[in-house]
Amino acid sequence: MALSSIWRRGGWQRAFFGDLTVRLFGFASWIPLIIWVRYNVADISNIHGPSMFPFLNEDIDTSWKRDVVLNWKWDCKQNLHRGMVVTFRSPYSPETVVVKRIIALEGDLVRTRPPYPDPVVKVPQGHVWVEGDGPEGKSIDSNTYGPIAIQLITGRVTHILYPWRKFGSVKWWEYKPRPWLPSSRDFEAT
Amino acid sequence: MARGRLFNATFGWARTYFQRHRGTASAPLFVSLGTLKAIVACHLLWEHGISFGGAAGSSMLPTFSVYGDYLLVSKYYRRGRDLHVGDLVFYDIPIFRRAQGVKRIMGLPGDYVLHGDPDTGSQVMIQVPQGHCWITGDNLESSRDSRVFGPLPLALVRGKVLAKIWPPQEAHWIRNGLEDSKSSENDSVALSS
Repeated sequence: MALSSIWRRGGWQRAFFGDLTVRLFGFASWIPLIIWVRYNVADISNIHGPSMFPFLNEDIDTSWKRDVVLNWKWDCKQNLHRGMVVTFRSPYSPETVVVKRIIALEGDLVRTRPPYPDPVVKVPQGHVWVEGDGPEGKSIDSNTYGPIAIQLITGRVTHILYPWRKFGSVKWWEYKPRPWLPSSRDFEAT
Repeated sequence: MARGRLFNATFGWARTYFQRHRGTASAPLFVSLGTLKAIVACHLLWEHGISFGGAAGSSMLPTFSVYGDYLLVSKYYRRGRDLHVGDLVFYDIPIFRRAQGVKRIMGLPGDYVLHGDPDTGSQVMIQVPQGHCWITGDNLESSRDSRVFGPLPLALVRGKVLAKIWPPQEAHWIRNGLEDSKSSENDSVALSS
């Protein structure tokens, strides 16, 4: 007996498959809403790499497990402060999203680290200066590509979800800026 | 139904609701949820598929007029996917919080471009860094573009302008003049050989 004849006979088969179509459409209709929430409200992200060590991925040398954070996207470009941890699209590779800490806001003077060519830089309009918490040279940040446009920012890291011992909100206001000390680079420049 | 009083107090409203609207798809909850899902689906299509909008300003004269032009934008080309020199892009202006513009791509990563104005006779060239592009307006005298804010990160490109759709008598598809000249060059080579 061919399959089509079973289908044409109707009865419970047709009821089952018709019902299945409706159910599948019902599930599919939720997909845009889920995508929209993940793009515009909040998302749960895994952290790769050592650039925010020791704040994120503290166990990177001893464990395969990576930190999981809550990435808050709603209204994330407003009211930025120094010390906030943000995610943004890398200026060097548009498809990559990276996580760094805001060091300086527009108009601030920043003391840079190598390999940035100038020892001191003023952050231009609509931009912020971002750096990884990691040691010098471990992070590709504003010291490599310069200040980044606020428009590149996609979200704020507001909570750490895993590991459990670090579970809780990110206390960005406890961030202490690097002391403004004279460095040998000042004398190189003059 | 032997449920606890706490259960009934917490979820009793839901049972009443579904009993009252049993067998109908017109329950207010379902209608509002369906509307929300439809709006969100349209929003995603607008952000990731295709959109249109008005353009204003003198920076793209004579391609677009100062006021009253409407453009069709494809979001397939967002973040600089599949773009070529000569394309018109719709992008987030990096020095502003919430502003978008339309400009022409003059250079892609690795290209050498003139840093300043051609009028000044300056010969200073810069190489466009990786992940960036160099954009200028067609009306160089009154355009705020890469000459002001430097190379634009490709991540700020939202889409490519496909067509001018309004006013109707000027409606046309936007063609990349550089691509056309390249293909005609190839044709002539093929003919001569």
